[in-house]
Amino acid sequence: MQEAIPYRRWATNQNNSSSSTSSTIYLKGPEGHDLKRIVEETPVLIFMKSGDCMGHVVKRLLQGLGVNPCVYEIDDKDEKRICVEIMGIIDGGGGRDGEGVQFPVAFIGGELFGGLDRVMATHITGELNLVLKQAGALWL
Amino acid sequence: MNYSSTQFVTPNSMTYEPVQQTGFWGDFTVNGFVNSPSPFILEVDGKLSNQSEDSSHGMVGILDGYDQEDSKRGEKSGLQVSRRLAQNREAARKSRIRKKAYVQQLENSKIRLLQLEQELERVKQQGQYMGEGVDASQLGYSGNPKPGIETFQVDHGHWVEEQNIQTTELRNALKSQIGEIELRILVDSCMSHYFNLFHMKTIAAKADAFYVMSGMWKTQAERFFLWIGGFRPSEILKILIPRLETLTEQQLVEAGNLKQSCHQAEDALSQGMEKLQQILSSTIAAGQLGEGNYLPQMDAAMERLEALVRVLNQADHLRRETLEQMARILTTRQAARAFLALGEYFERLRALSSLWSSNPPEPA
Repeated sequence: MQEAIPYRRWATNQNNSSSSTSSTIYLKGPEGHDLKRIVEETPVLIFMKSGDCMGHVVKRLLQGLGVNPCVYEIDDKDEKRICVEIMGIIDGGGGRDGEGVQFPVAFIGGELFGGLDRVMATHITGELNLVLKQAGALWL
Repeated sequence: MNYSSTQFVTPNSMTYEPVQQTGFWGDFTVNGFVNSPSPFILEVDGKLSNQSEDSSHGMVGILDGYDQEDSKRGEKSGLQVSRRLAQNREAARKSRIRKKAYVQQLENSKIRLLQLEQELERVKQQGQYMGEGVDASQLGYSGNPKPGIETFQVDHGHWVEEQNIQTTELRNALKSQIGEIELRILVDSCMSHYFNLFHMKTIAAKADAFYVMSGMWKTQAERFFLWIGGFRPSEILKILIPRLETLTEQQLVEAGNLKQSCHQAEDALSQGMEKLQQILSSTIAAGQLGEGNYLPQMDAAMERLEALVRVLNQADHLRRETLEQMARILTTRQAARAFLALGEYFERLRALSSLWSSNPPEPA
């Protein structure tokens, strides 16, 4: 039976390496980051606003599954700019509605996955696990 | 007798307009008799309203004072008198009807007031757990609940009543030979009922997130298990799953996965909540603690509080998803048993709270 690393064991590992955040990559956005490339090349990517507790929830949930998400933190002043950039990436990939993107938002395997609602729902049904495996983010 | 020629008519057979329309019983006075010149008529009126039998005698006695010359005038004024007396009687009758209606309205208001007082007592009891005494405005919860919360409290009371009814229906249905389709309908309506609660809570959270967070709308024993404004989904699964007999191997695996996923999601959400607490705490404590002026910190903290609504909504979202997934794993009959078990579990918690309220422990 294929399953993610059992939760309890992973939590212990996290505690041991709590000082080093090397398991989770944090990016902060000065200009010059090629967002498109980052989205395409990162298996699991979370865009969230700095200090947003809901983004923290997404991060913890994915970490709990044994995944190393890349977290891109956005300051208030950069929010609009990055929002526009992300919309550009999404639309280029095949058109969503014109509403702005809500943070936190997750990209899995280069594709827009959704916000906390979707992550939570798919986690409960088991769909998230499948998507993560397909994206090569989980290999157990 | 000059009186005998006077037609003595009863009010019923006479057509006339009531002398004075009064909208409220209390306004009725004897002044209805506006165009009466003779004081003695007013005295007669008092007798008339109670004793219509004797009125003619009274009238005769009085009118006996007229002499022959005034016979015509006597006749005419006799007519006027009898008409006024009849009008008076009619006005008095209407007044009695209005008084009766008014008293009935008072009675209804009294009953309504009693109901409201009982409702208030019930809500106060829930607040007494906080040990803040019987201050109605506090309800054991600092700060008056914001508008919209009273509505929520009343609606939640109704929700609980409906919940108990559904639990009983499930109990009876499972005992009987009810068909699959009907059972499915019952299960679906139980599910919808929980969704209604989450919807109500979403609205209430927007009105007053601290209130929903406090769980003050639940009974004491339920509050003991409170997790982010409601029940903890994984706890529910831990209670229900072992009590479902006839689970297949596949179902056991799926149920186990659900329990684990639920637990993981709860932990993530709990950590998000802790993060919010950290942020709020440092926002409030920013600057020099002790300088006495902290308006900017208040502004910043109010902004942070918006996140509390999102956390509450997300917790309810998790509860909803868990219930839905549970129903997906189970057959209709199993789901019916699960909802019955869940309904009775909450019923027992509420019963414990009632028992506790009426039997507080002895002070040490």
